[in-house]
Amino acid sequence: MTAAIFVPSVGFGLVTASILALAAVGFTLQFGVTNILNLAYGDLMTASAYIGYQVNKAGGSLALSLLAGAAFGGVASLLLNRLVYTPFLRRGTKLFGMVIVTLSVGIIIQNTLLAIGGATFFTYNVHVGSTVHPLGFDLNTLQLMIIGLAIVAMIAVQLLLTRTKLGKAMRATAANRALAQASGIATDRVVSVAWLLSGLLCGLAGVVLVINTTAFRSTTGSDFLVVIIAAAILGGVGRPTGAMIGALILGIVTEVSAAYVSPSYKEIFAFGVLVIVLLVRPSGIFGHAAVTQEAPA
Amino acid sequence: MRRRLAAACIVTVAACGLAACGSSSSAGTGPDTGKKAVVFAVFNPFSGPDASFGPEQLAGCIPAATAIEAAGGILNHKQVSCKVADSRGDPADAVPAAQSLIATTGGLMGILGPSSDEASATAPLFNRSNIPMFADTGQKVFDTSKFAYFYRITAPDDAVGYAMALYAHSKGYSRAVGVFGNDISSQGTAPTSQAGFKKLGGQILLQSIPLDQSSYRTEIEQAVAFKPQVIFTEADPQTSATYLSELTQLYHLIPIVGTNGTNQPPWFKAVGGAIGQSNLAKFYGGAQPFAPTSGPAYVEWRKELAAAATKVPQPVKQWESDSYAMAAWDSINLMALAAQEAKSTNPAVFNPFILKVAKPSAGAVVVHSFPEGKQALAAGKKIQYVGAVGAITFDQYRNSPGQFEIVKSDGQTPIVTYTAQQVAAAR
Amino acid sequence: MNGTAYYVTTILVYLGVDIIAVWGLNLQYGLAGVYNFAFVMFQAFGAYIAAALTLGPSSGNGGFQAYILGGSLPWPLPVLAAGVASGLLALVVGLVALRKLRTDYQAMVMLVISVCATLLVTNDIGLFNGPAGLSLIPQPLTKLAAANTVNWQWWYVGATALICAIVYLFVHRVTSSPIGRALRAVRDNEEAAEALGKDVTRLRLCIFVFGNALAGISGAVLVQFIGAWSPGSWLYVETFVFLTAIIVGGTGNNLGVMLGALLVPVAFNEATRYLPQIGRPGLIDALQWIVIGLLALAFLWFWPRGIIPERRRRYPASSRAEV
Repeated sequence: MTAAIFVPSVGFGLVTASILALAAVGFTLQFGVTNILNLAYGDLMTASAYIGYQVNKAGGSLALSLLAGAAFGGVASLLLNRLVYTPFLRRGTKLFGMVIVTLSVGIIIQNTLLAIGGATFFTYNVHVGSTVHPLGFDLNTLQLMIIGLAIVAMIAVQLLLTRTKLGKAMRATAANRALAQASGIATDRVVSVAWLLSGLLCGLAGVVLVINTTAFRSTTGSDFLVVIIAAAILGGVGRPTGAMIGALILGIVTEVSAAYVSPSYKEIFAFGVLVIVLLVRPSGIFGHAAVTQEAPA
Repeated sequence: MRRRLAAACIVTVAACGLAACGSSSSAGTGPDTGKKAVVFAVFNPFSGPDASFGPEQLAGCIPAATAIEAAGGILNHKQVSCKVADSRGDPADAVPAAQSLIATTGGLMGILGPSSDEASATAPLFNRSNIPMFADTGQKVFDTSKFAYFYRITAPDDAVGYAMALYAHSKGYSRAVGVFGNDISSQGTAPTSQAGFKKLGGQILLQSIPLDQSSYRTEIEQAVAFKPQVIFTEADPQTSATYLSELTQLYHLIPIVGTNGTNQPPWFKAVGGAIGQSNLAKFYGGAQPFAPTSGPAYVEWRKELAAAATKVPQPVKQWESDSYAMAAWDSINLMALAAQEAKSTNPAVFNPFILKVAKPSAGAVVVHSFPEGKQALAAGKKIQYVGAVGAITFDQYRNSPGQFEIVKSDGQTPIVTYTAQQVAAAR
Repeated sequence: MNGTAYYVTTILVYLGVDIIAVWGLNLQYGLAGVYNFAFVMFQAFGAYIAAALTLGPSSGNGGFQAYILGGSLPWPLPVLAAGVASGLLALVVGLVALRKLRTDYQAMVMLVISVCATLLVTNDIGLFNGPAGLSLIPQPLTKLAAANTVNWQWWYVGATALICAIVYLFVHRVTSSPIGRALRAVRDNEEAAEALGKDVTRLRLCIFVFGNALAGISGAVLVQFIGAWSPGSWLYVETFVFLTAIIVGGTGNNLGVMLGALLVPVAFNEATRYLPQIGRPGLIDALQWIVIGLLALAFLWFWPRGIIPERRRRYPASSRAEV
């Protein structure tokens, strides 16, 4: 394969990375604060995308679909925590049981979508715009918009976490919940905000994912979940900055290996990178604190 | 403690439920004087990636069963129904599904299925229980199956691959790219479309792509570098929609040659949404087994489909010229007529009559539907069933491959048809 | 009619397979607190190995399927080989993933490994025939009764029961041995166990290998019965079916998880087949899954420690892992 394909494939990698970053940051943020491995995340993405699809079908603009998807994701995520996850935690369900709880919720969401929408495919009615060639990439305006949206969202998350009181409280809660509580942080409120924020990003990611895949169905989000988790682990679980870097690496490795090796091995290559990183740094690129710390529940 | 008791109760109830379900089976042997309802089952995926297979078979089953009932049933059995049995599309789930179907279905006369996803694990199960199956699996291994109860009246996948190559060649294309999803049904056609196209003097780049990725732009760059004039493709709807819409952006649309796997409403919906219905109509041609859309059997099929219009999966229009639904309809008719002629709905008795009913013989009346056949048999005549897929000529392995067609993006309107001999030229 | 006998024997074999599997997983999760989200991968590997070792050379059957190895070993050698192979695979995976990491972190790594394995087997046709999977796997014990007869089915149920019994002896022994006590100590309080001089990582690796060897055996027993195996049979969610069985039955309790195996993969699954067919095709299948999800939630809510909880041991149990 020639070198000519290298630059475009990096460009495509950036698109994949942008979608992945939105999803992985939302996933890891919530995990870092709450320690709940939320396997319903992918299905919530699909559900948000479906809400966005209904808005689009009713004649709403793309921006409105994104807003509706994000709002739905945020509210649903908050409600899931309030109505399902927290009650189970209060009942004494531990980490592993919570995994089964989130998985069951995911199965229920996915199959509710299947029951409502049927075993069919949905397509947003959007204009992809013309193809442009910034820096030698071959991207259309819609994809540039996805990259832009991801960059803005990432900057916003960074600012929130590092510059605001709430962000500092979140980081403190993630590092050590008991200590944070003892130092006067309202950890319950922080946890709620984490679910809300995670849901917002989840909703956004769901809508941009299905705009990029063009067609989607009830399993589209959950099919994407493992890649999201991989990006989160690569960067160090619970670390938003790490998830961004992880998404970037996975996105680019996937596309470049598709170009130079074989498309059918592209995900294997991406996961291979993950294994190598874990061999060198068992806790991921940014995850020093994660090592040997027993998971609190 | 009370909780424990409750748990024990639940377990007991569950166990009893299982046992009860297991004991409700029966199907008579010996002379058939029974009046019980008889059942045909659609054993195909109704969930998972190949969830579109099941409804297609069901759409053939229901009109036939409805018409059989209207004609007074099979022998003394007035009630004839179609049962849905979801194979879930993989061997490990399909085996217990098949066993429960066999064990708990009274009056089971035959199966529409299995599909490629589960055929190798479940065909032996139906065979040993003496249940005739009209399979929609495309696997080559069943070309020479030894099972006495295995029938196939649609073409295997590999033959479809040759038909695709033949069509592209006849259009004057010499550079093709084959884009096939890395799943079992899609991979079935990949090797023969490649071999056939090469044999006919063309050049082809084969891509096996992972399903449901967020993007295939890198793969498309590769394909574009090959400068193809035509695409051979089969993948699930989402994958194809993503791939083809990105191809439109990065290159331009080129003619698409699909398969029976893409001649499906969900695929047309997803891809049509992605690249535009008008583009799809302009560039698409899909290879599939041919079923004539004229002639007496076709008229019968349309009549029976219309009569059952409210009962089949909606919308009805999609099945009107669907060769797989039509083959399923033929299968039910064949089994029902065989039972009628054998004077028994016991499959072990009527199985040999399936071959007999399809075979031309001196003095036999050609019939195109169950009511017609039943009448002829009642008049003491011999019959030959010629169905919606045309004359059914079983070989020694109970395969009847038939002809091929290339259809437009409605999945029905033929562009061109090929005989089995013409397709063999690409082998 | 033999249909009932075929159905009952099939369910019994599946039950036996599920029981062996949940015992294996329970050793890891229930006893040692190892979070193995790649469990089904080890079951699948055992199944593939047993299949490849009985199918004969891959040129057989007209060479229509490609696979590695290719032997014609008599029963029960393929089952044993499957156990050994899955154990070896577990050793390699464990050396990478079971190092000093947070356990939930390990779980996620395992999940990724499981998906990666599915992708590899699907795309590398030469390994185990890619997406089409292996089929026409010969059935063992055909000297005792002709294949595909009810008698054969009963013989196979017997063989499965025998393997279950042997596995139970083994599992019981591990659970009640000093190693078992050490493992529980590791699960309940890793630092304390470490302080007492237990090599935590090694103990975990050990049980990881044992448990996954059982996974391999369960896969072998299943594949020799159904005669076919493909990537669709071992998607990563299948692991969660086994986990749900353990949690529903009673984590850490061998009899409890056995009950879980009866309830979750067998009873939930079979019972939902008999829901009446309503609405358009496919609707009922979606509802089936919703019911399974709700059942799992209900069990976790009402029986958080499982139906038969782990017996309290004599040593202080302040920080016991409950579910």
